[in-house]
Amino acid sequence: MNTKQIPISEMINIRVFYNKKSRAKYISHLDITRCMQRALKRAGLPIWYTEGFNPHIYLTFALPLSLGYESESESMDLRLVTEVPFEEVKDCLNRALPPDIRVTKVQLQKNKPDVIKTALYEITLKSDTVTGQVLKDCLDHMFSEEKIEVVKKTKKGNKMIDIKPDLEIQSIEVLDYAIHIELIASAGIEKNINPTLMTDELIGKYNLEDIQTSVMRKAIYDANGNEFE
Amino acid sequence: MADSLKDKLDQVLLNVQKPARYIGGELNSVIKDKQDVDIRFAFCFPDTYEVGMSHLGMKILYSLLNDRDDVWCERVFAPWLDFEEQMKKHNIPLYGLESLEPLSEFDIIGFTLQYELSFTNILNMLKLGNVPLLCSERKGLKNLVVAGGPCACNPEPLVDFIDLFMLGEGEEVMHELMDLYKASVKANDTKETFLQKASQIGGVYVPSLYDVTYNEDGTIKEIIAKENAPLPVQKRIIKDFDSVYYPEKFIVPFIGTVHDRAIVEVLRGCIRGCRFCQAGFLYRPFREKNSDTLIKNGKSLCETTGYEEISLSSLSTSDYSQLESLLTEFIDYTNDNQVNLTLPSLRVDNFSEELLEKIASVRKSGLTFAPEAGTQRLRDVINKNVLESDVLNSCTIAFAGGYTSVKLYFMLGLPTETLDDIKGIIELAQKVVNAYYEMENRPKGKGVQVTVSVSTFVPKPFTPFQYEPQDTLEMIDEKQKHLVQSVTSKKINVKYHDSKTSVLEAVFARGDRRLGKVMLKAYQDGCYFDSWDECFHYGKWMKAFEECGIDPAFYANRKRSYEEVLPWSHLDYGVSERFLQNEHQKAVASTTTKNCRLQCSACGANKLLGGACFEY
Ligand code: SF4
Repeated sequence: MNTKQIPISEMINIRVFYNKKSRAKYISHLDITRCMQRALKRAGLPIWYTEGFNPHIYLTFALPLSLGYESESESMDLRLVTEVPFEEVKDCLNRALPPDIRVTKVQLQKNKPDVIKTALYEITLKSDTVTGQVLKDCLDHMFSEEKIEVVKKTKKGNKMIDIKPDLEIQSIEVLDYAIHIELIASAGIEKNINPTLMTDELIGKYNLEDIQTSVMRKAIYDANGNEFE
Repeated sequence: MADSLKDKLDQVLLNVQKPARYIGGELNSVIKDKQDVDIRFAFCFPDTYEVGMSHLGMKILYSLLNDRDDVWCERVFAPWLDFEEQMKKHNIPLYGLESLEPLSEFDIIGFTLQYELSFTNILNMLKLGNVPLLCSERKGLKNLVVAGGPCACNPEPLVDFIDLFMLGEGEEVMHELMDLYKASVKANDTKETFLQKASQIGGVYVPSLYDVTYNEDGTIKEIIAKENAPLPVQKRIIKDFDSVYYPEKFIVPFIGTVHDRAIVEVLRGCIRGCRFCQAGFLYRPFREKNSDTLIKNGKSLCETTGYEEISLSSLSTSDYSQLESLLTEFIDYTNDNQVNLTLPSLRVDNFSEELLEKIASVRKSGLTFAPEAGTQRLRDVINKNVLESDVLNSCTIAFAGGYTSVKLYFMLGLPTETLDDIKGIIELAQKVVNAYYEMENRPKGKGVQVTVSVSTFVPKPFTPFQYEPQDTLEMIDEKQKHLVQSVTSKKINVKYHDSKTSVLEAVFARGDRRLGKVMLKAYQDGCYFDSWDECFHYGKWMKAFEECGIDPAFYANRKRSYEEVLPWSHLDYGVSERFLQNEHQKAVASTTTKNCRLQCSACGANKLLGGACFEY
């Protein structure tokens, strides 16, 4: 397949949305790139390759996902050199992907990744000893304070930041020994707040022991709260 | 299930490096319903995920076993130290990557023996899997522990721990063993009955059916077979290599591994007969696949994996008889499909212009040569048919093609080696440096870098050097010093490895049954992952030898006579002892032996095929 002569203007820029769940949450962002390139290759779709000495599939991701998070709203952008029905792209890819990564939707790129401002996460805190009510009380108490200061590791060293302005709790569901939190947090290239910063602070501040945390990214939004498309 | 292994793993996996290696779920990994199979087989590689997942033999047998409806084969690797710590803390047993169920649940636990320094990892993996270490502690048919691979050619140090060994190539014997196991379970056989029946399968060695007695000087007096067990046990070989089973798919790991690519297996065996090289004798006779078969294998793998790279696997790809047609077709395929073909250094003397041009367009791995010895005399001793002019010519061509660094591999401690041979290593490296500067249009302002990489020679069973002592540590240290002092130029960079691991390798390569207790003791003292520098504890090993009253020098540094009963003398790999002795004498006299394609030297391996190896 020789794709080099096709002008960029005639290519079809598509956005592929996918889930990453269960065992797949342990694939790092770097490894997901390679995993997707190989899946695209197996799928046999007319994908555009970069030119040059070492051609590779042109692929970009909207918003990296932390290692260990599940997600229902991942997306990647790529270019097709000939038209293929979106349903077919989806089916081909699902046949080529490992079982815990599923394509949900294929469409044209409606906006650019830089419009992303927030993301919705579902966080579950589970314990054998601490009740859901206690977990909720601690969380409420933490949010009743003026600031939520946490240590953020950066390349230049650690620094203290207040993450309270970047977080907005949507709902809390209390179970016997667990809580589910729906949280909106700043996301995107300008400011990306990892929900683990909040849960680690909660666990540390109130000396909560044997808490298991799991995080699922549910959706990604622009500044107006519309879903990224 | 609240406390299933998966839940426990979710608690700890984010605390360890590269969690993806402990969770499975990769593309093309095989999930079955355990209710639907008769045999659950744990294929264990006694090293890390990255090393094990690169290994071709494992890929072949994994697919071969899973193609059977009655077997579910899973993969198990040695957990790295950080994860092992978490496993212990959270009571997580070692488990199969497909089902995430404990090793102790498996019917058959199979290890592949690729290098001696991985032996202690076997003990650690059994232990972490809650499987009793000693054969005598495992009573029934469940948790049968089996092993195969090159080190099974002298499995004696492992006989306390492993119930049976498969000698030679596994593609056929594995099926026969599965059929027998299934029948034995159905018949309610005891372990003893099963093992007795298994010993009748060609290539299966059941050590408990052999008694070993010793002379007063510690050497072996006699090895006696019991209960009808065969003597000798002959290795298995695939006669029709072109039609041997080959997987259509490889598992595609999420994380990078040592060799993360599609592989086709071009040939088995080697025509060369380098006298230090165990693989060259173990895998005789030479057999190859048709280039059509290889193209078919390669295309299938590329399509099912999406790999961007494919390589040719063999002991010496230059000796493949259909190389020209294979490369012509392969390069066209890989160019059209955005796949890189990785080629080893090839002898290309009689290729067409057109093919040479095509090869030039393929990215090559780094420029490496393995002269193995520094002087022609010593190269004749080891039967390494490489001339100084071969090395210099190839380097000159490569320099002209833009290369500015070369890596040369050598061994220290080869039989008959003198200080002159060691100096010869540096002299050869210097000639390579000179060849660069003698080149008229060499790139301006650019220097050349020649890396001399030296390993310590380890005498191995089934080679002509199996009778030879290994140099002592002191001698090797002395030689390493001499080597470094001989360096004449800043362009030459010498690298050598700590020789202490080679001592251990030498002991276990030619060890006998008495070493089992040393291994157990050292393991209990914390020795495993011995091939990883940060985990190797020479002192602890020496202490274990001392406590067991065993002198490692007896195994490593002693010259054996031709009359001695060697620990592996009841095993038959095709190559006759008379041939090895003859080769040994020719070595001492620096006489070379022609390669198998030019002339048969009557090594005896042709009996495995039932005819001549080549038509002359
Ligand atoms: S029998 Fe002859 S040709 Fe065959 S492997 Fe031995 S030496 Fe080589």
